[in-house]
Amino acid sequence: MEFGTIEREIFVEASPEVVFEVVSSPHHLQEWWPDEAEYDPSPGGSGTISFGEFDADRTVVGITVVDAEPPRRFTFRWTHPVGDAARVGNSLLVTFELTPTRGGTLLTMTERGFREMGWEAAVLEQQFHEHETGWDFYLPRVAPYAESLATRR
Amino acid sequence: MSAVVEERIDDDLWSAIGDPTRRRILDLLLLGDGTATSLSEDLPVTRQAVAKHLAVLDRVGLVRATPAGREKRYRVDEAQLARAVAQLSSVGRAWDARLQRIKRIAEAIQRTAKEQ
Repeated sequence: MEFGTIEREIFVEASPEVVFEVVSSPHHLQEWWPDEAEYDPSPGGSGTISFGEFDADRTVVGITVVDAEPPRRFTFRWTHPVGDAARVGNSLLVTFELTPTRGGTLLTMTERGFREMGWEAAVLEQQFHEHETGWDFYLPRVAPYAESLATRR
Repeated sequence: MSAVVEERIDDDLWSAIGDPTRRRILDLLLLGDGTATSLSEDLPVTRQAVAKHLAVLDRVGLVRATPAGREKRYRVDEAQLARAVAQLSSVGRAWDARLQRIKRIAEAIQRTAKEQ
């Protein structure tokens, strides 16, 4: 078992060009991850991603693009304090590798840096996760529940 | 236990499993109890090095020692190990959900492009 690195793979029925756009552009990032994303998606580009819609529970962290080779690879660092330069030890490193395959793209994601950042990073990621999956978890349950209420009448 | 102390222990726990040799030691101990001597037979490091790694694991509660003659016999504390693993598997699940969304979005864009 490898602690400190997360690796995932998924087949997407879309061209690498389309997938690259979805994993790299701030506009699309907002659709699958943070509530807001503002950054320049080219190498060295940096900015912020925010979680939470209201000021009180809003968390803003830095994002810095390390490498962008469309449509093959997109690498960035995140979780560093806004305004600080991203480096090993203050941020997590995410790499998306895109491999063209029959009928689509094999998308591989790795996230590294938990070991260097320590336990806190994992706790932080867990918190972002809890925030973002809240609605994912509850919404699909709302419809069946509503239906069961309707049939009971 | 104060929050600060607890955080400190968590950081130590994390760096304890960060080391590849210690992870290998944990893997071996999950197969059965062991001593520094028995473990060093399956590892490319000396008995002394294994003993040091075991001391680190013991300090963060990942292994428990009982005296066995002139040596100590170690076993994995599964509750403590589970605690460390749960933290990362939760992050793994977060990425599963994100990748599912990436897939949905990209495939919707691709379908729209084909229709035009």
